[in-house]
Amino acid sequence: MSNIKHFFHQSWLLIISSFCFGLLIAVTNAAWSPRIQQNEKDKLNNLMTGLITEARNFEITIEGVEVPGKKGKITKTDIYQALDDSGSSAGFAFVAIGAGFADKIKLVIAVDAKCEKFLGFKVLSSNETPGFGDRIKEDYFGNQFKKAPAGGLQLVKTGDPETIDSEIVAISGATVSSEAVVKIFNAYIDKVKQQLPEKELKTNGQ
Amino acid sequence: MDTLNILLMGFISIVLINNLVFTKFLGICPYLGVSGRIDMAFGMGMAVTFVVTLSGTLTWLIDHLILIGTPLEVTRYVCFILVIAGAVQLVEMYVRKFFPSLYESFGIFLPLITTNCAILGLCLFINLWEIDNLLEAVVLSFGAGIGFTMAICIMAGIRENLNLADVPECLKGAPITLITAGLLTLAFMGFAGMIR
Amino acid sequence: MANKTSNAPLLGETFVVGLWRENPVFRLLLGMCPTLAVTAAVKPAFTMGLCVIFVLLCSNIIVSLMRNLLKPHLRILMFTLTISTFVTIADLFLRAFQPRMSEILGPYVPLIIVNCIIICRAEACASKNPLLVSIIDALGMGAGFTLTLCVLAAIREILSTGAIWEITILPAGFVPWAAMRMPVGAFITLGLLLGLVNLATKRKA
Repeated sequence: MSNIKHFFHQSWLLIISSFCFGLLIAVTNAAWSPRIQQNEKDKLNNLMTGLITEARNFEITIEGVEVPGKKGKITKTDIYQALDDSGSSAGFAFVAIGAGFADKIKLVIAVDAKCEKFLGFKVLSSNETPGFGDRIKEDYFGNQFKKAPAGGLQLVKTGDPETIDSEIVAISGATVSSEAVVKIFNAYIDKVKQQLPEKELKTNGQ
Repeated sequence: MDTLNILLMGFISIVLINNLVFTKFLGICPYLGVSGRIDMAFGMGMAVTFVVTLSGTLTWLIDHLILIGTPLEVTRYVCFILVIAGAVQLVEMYVRKFFPSLYESFGIFLPLITTNCAILGLCLFINLWEIDNLLEAVVLSFGAGIGFTMAICIMAGIRENLNLADVPECLKGAPITLITAGLLTLAFMGFAGMIR
Repeated sequence: MANKTSNAPLLGETFVVGLWRENPVFRLLLGMCPTLAVTAAVKPAFTMGLCVIFVLLCSNIIVSLMRNLLKPHLRILMFTLTISTFVTIADLFLRAFQPRMSEILGPYVPLIIVNCIIICRAEACASKNPLLVSIIDALGMGAGFTLTLCVLAAIREILSTGAIWEITILPAGFVPWAAMRMPVGAFITLGLLLGLVNLATKRKA
């Protein structure tokens, strides 16, 4: 009995303040967590709206599309359908992840409603070398993907970046990062094309 | 075989490519303070490796068994730091009782390690990278400790020689150590892209 | 009345001491980890500085209020608990109101918990001094830390992108030093700055 008393005598402050702090954290979390979740949703929405400008609304069409990666690892992604003012399909967008030079590269890729051409991409997160691999974020590289055919993209070292075809000119000094982006596109578009036909026909048929 | 491959790649990556000191800026305070002599540096490195492996494993377990997916997730930081402090305390008591000679060589480092950013930093990175199996977490924690030890021993070797060189008065001590660390970082950057 | 006037210069001095003479980064060499990590640009550095001021202030207040009740062998635990609670709150705040900053600062916000500055001030100052002194000390140390971070970040940002706080300053012909954004630039800049500060203080003395 005296042992317990001694324990309480020593640690009552600790116990009471743990309780108070726990309460404080819980209250703060409850107050702000809706905002935090809204922020996460907004981030993706803003990026996708930047890619598909006519879009007013995004909804998830297909969840959990499985894309095989290296060494059999499977990453899941959701395909979002962009709807414009009249409610018809303005395109599709999805998050794509792949290995870059330094670390994983996370992209948001948009394709048009018929899944025939890419509408472009934005980098969600990457850790590439500043001044070199980092330049995948620049327009020089990104614009080559706009209206490029959806599938079978190839990286070339020299060529005309203005011509929009399936040849993508690499960033000088950042071949590995450029190659990584092209690989991500190719890997995901096949799977996405497989999954979309049924849904596509449904919306266009309406 | 595949698992072994992933583990080996993970280990090499955290020792060389994503070295905690040189690329993530963790563990700088003890790094600057203790890297004066190689034997002290090695002792500190070993102590850190010991603690970080233990903490990494424990925090991963707590994270995955209790915290993820429950409303308790918001107390993650509090839980992690308490676990780390507790682990360090336990390790210190255990080592003092059963390996007194080892305790002598660790010296005052063990209690100091609790505030070592590297330990909490590693636990948070394991959470950030979404490592989803225990073996990988253990290997990464161990690798982080080894990486830190390697970094601190290299620095100690260089500093022992620097003591004999003609360093300007205002740069002696911390400044020249930082500049040396910067150059080491530059050297280690050469390892980037080694693993795809 | 006499008490108040004799306290005032002491308080002012405490504030200034935190700013320069015992500047946490340059003189006491504390809090190195975030200094190097978040100073790639001025905005994140300033945000980090504000977070540290918030946590330092709250923790100093609480510790100072509790200073007579602390049991000696449990006090580090109490400090840690207090600090981690306020860091959690600061992190939640950033995620709710400044999501971009939260992403850039990433895992370095929770690392404020092990930032030596906060625990050292709690131990050395707040647990021994009344409330007002602790508050001023927290503000002074925090301001010193923020100032240091911003100076370092300004140098790195100007040299790596030609802008400060994302406002372009240098002319378009300036070729950015990409190295400044990488860890190399961080270490070397801090080392040189430290050397400069040492030089300046030696000259004064």
